[in-house]
Amino acid sequence: MSTTLAADATVLGACPHDCPDTCSMLVKVVQGKVTGVQGNPTHPFTQGRLCAKTSHYQERVYHPERLLYPMRRTGPKGSGEFERISWDEALTTIGEKWRAIIKTDGPTAILPYSYLGTQGIVNGLTVGDPFFNKLGATISERTFCDSGASTAYVMTVGPTPGMDPESLAHSRFIILWACNLLSTNAHLWPFIDQARKQGAKLVVIDPVKTGTTAMADLHLRPRPGTDGALALAMIHVIIGEGLVDRDYVDRHSIGFDELSAHVAPYTPAFAAAETGIDAEIIRTLARDYASAQPSAIRIGVAIERSAGGGQLVRAIACLPALVGAWRKPGGGLLQLPLWAFPARWDHLHRADLATPGTRVINQWKLGAALTGSLPLDPPIRALFVYNSNPLVVAPDQLRLQQGLAREDLFTVVSEQFMTDTARYADLLLPATTQVEQDDLMFSWGHLYLTLNRQAVAPQGEAVSNAELFRRLATVMGFDDPFFQRSDEQILRESMDWDAPSMQGISMELLETQGYARLNLPAADIFAPHADGGFPTPSGKVEMKASMAAGGNFVLPTFRQGCSDHQDGSPVPALPTYTPPRESGIRVAAPGARYPLAMMSPKSHSFLNSSYANHRRQLARESEQRLFINPADASSRGIRSDDLVRVKNDRGAFVAVAKVGDEAMPGVVVAPMGYWIASSRAQATPAALNPTVLGDLGGAPTFSDNAVEVELA
Amino acid sequence: MPHVVTDNCTACRYTECVALCPVDCFHAADDRLYIDPDACIDCAACVPVCPVKAIVDAFDLDGGADELITLNRERSRELPVIEEKTAPLPTAEARRQALNL
Repeated sequence: MSTTLAADATVLGACPHDCPDTCSMLVKVVQGKVTGVQGNPTHPFTQGRLCAKTSHYQERVYHPERLLYPMRRTGPKGSGEFERISWDEALTTIGEKWRAIIKTDGPTAILPYSYLGTQGIVNGLTVGDPFFNKLGATISERTFCDSGASTAYVMTVGPTPGMDPESLAHSRFIILWACNLLSTNAHLWPFIDQARKQGAKLVVIDPVKTGTTAMADLHLRPRPGTDGALALAMIHVIIGEGLVDRDYVDRHSIGFDELSAHVAPYTPAFAAAETGIDAEIIRTLARDYASAQPSAIRIGVAIERSAGGGQLVRAIACLPALVGAWRKPGGGLLQLPLWAFPARWDHLHRADLATPGTRVINQWKLGAALTGSLPLDPPIRALFVYNSNPLVVAPDQLRLQQGLAREDLFTVVSEQFMTDTARYADLLLPATTQVEQDDLMFSWGHLYLTLNRQAVAPQGEAVSNAELFRRLATVMGFDDPFFQRSDEQILRESMDWDAPSMQGISMELLETQGYARLNLPAADIFAPHADGGFPTPSGKVEMKASMAAGGNFVLPTFRQGCSDHQDGSPVPALPTYTPPRESGIRVAAPGARYPLAMMSPKSHSFLNSSYANHRRQLARESEQRLFINPADASSRGIRSDDLVRVKNDRGAFVAVAKVGDEAMPGVVVAPMGYWIASSRAQATPAALNPTVLGDLGGAPTFSDNAVEVELA
Repeated sequence: MPHVVTDNCTACRYTECVALCPVDCFHAADDRLYIDPDACIDCAACVPVCPVKAIVDAFDLDGGADELITLNRERSRELPVIEEKTAPLPTAEARRQALNL
């Protein structure tokens, strides 16, 4: 049954954004227009709350700068000058251009670029995969977010949902590691708050002082990118002081003896020298974590963003097994409960349609791929961007701008707004917002499926991503009916409804309630690995990882279902510390040109670059700021509210300095998401971000970034 | 900009809001509530449950936003956190009617 739009209604919706919380939303419609949204009070994870991004979602829907019609570029690339055209003309142009490119250079000269601007099953991560796999285009390796951590996690404990987020209410000791929870995972907070009110201790590990760290019993501030030394020193102490749950380790892990020998050099003194955290505090942390059971670790997406971020996650994933934390509800590790959802990934990606051996390009390399810095034969002749704004989220901003400015590059961008990337399009296609489309959402932060029903008609001539790819399939002559499935068919066919975790869940239930918890034990009693059962090759926690033998890899989930052309470079089988390449203890070596480490965390009111064009959210965030410690500010003559230039060899941007202890000494913090077009010097923090990938899974190294700051 | 409690709360103090606040950012005076604007995360859960529409995003105020934020911040520093719902003030119903809400 597809949605019948009512003029006046409260419609069950779901937040589309790339956030673990995936809220159930009540969308109020009056006379065919959305007048407000509200968190669904009955959803056990949403609990009636939204956030600083979405609580006025209607302002996004009716934003005066929404793209409403297909448009063709009329000015120079990047100028943002366009004229309206029809959908027919846009699609015909795309078909002609692509066919010509395929004829001369083959289909791999076409590169799709996308991620999770919208993350539903119908319109999200995989919506274009069947089309581009069939087309034979270059495969996009999308390691934007958690791919490195996921490789590490899967190597160690397998693709397990891990602990139930709601079970954190029963934890006795909680570590939030690289996670500014109150800004990026806020709906998990009530469960942590409940645990704290029952006496649990909260430790937050984050170089930056945030609203979340203000809530902590203990805030530890390692130098950016040195957390691996801390995690390995915790293992050193736990093993050295006999705090190991030997029974659990013996029955449910492999590689303990090798790990024991391996961590000998990772002493608290070693970790103290790397991280800047006192050795005695590290010992106490390890002892408290081991003894206060059940203990829980929540890792944030930021954890992977330095040279050794992957092996850091390997080390962390060993910790709960070492201390037997998995035994009880409220114990274990929380990374991506996404793995709980029985999505039909083969159906979503349709990797079977791809041409075997098709080349793969990592999307962090877009600037290099478009400018010839990455040797490509054939070169990229056409770029198709949807669900993403690479000019703000990808590194190498200057080179990427040069690439996008190429006159011989045919760029199509599907967007809701005239983003920095959209300004470089040859053709712009208008995309719907979540209230204008149907979708079904899984979550990477809780265990509920959430339904999003369309509330209002699309604005202008905007189309959903699913409709966009139906139209493209028609243009390219794909006659397989698979490519003409309705949103409703995609929605219903994308889950394995026969899976045990889907028992009791029906479309009828979702239509009535808006959401359904997967058929798993209640959070109060759910301890998924109390008796082992890890989905690894050995069925145990692999402290020594057997999958390391295959070398480095990216999960097919993040590369259109494709398994070809994996990196394959050697991976240590035991968790091993890799110091940061740029930041860390060596950043301030005498004579260093770039003696400060820069981090560019998510802004509280933006979702990456989304909402950074909204007056409400900008009013809260104000303009681009750079937080700098008083010690580093005074030596440079910088005071709060001064304009400063932040620079390294890759680029520079200008920000308003805020002097304070939000940033630790030697570190500067530039919240990201701001748009180039509204920046002071036509650049944002991404202009400085390195393109070098981390040790596992193609993770970015944006927190491993050396810069200098001066008065502008 | 953060959410703030306006003068509509005065003489009402319904406290429907406090149970929903995930970060315990409401502080209670004898006559009304205040939001600690530095602790508020803008989840907006409290807004629809207030019977007298006393909670607003400061961004939506026509004027006086800075003053109201400052008032909420300063009073929050002096007053205790309120986490659990209490009975409205005896004057609440009359005040609500006076506000035509």
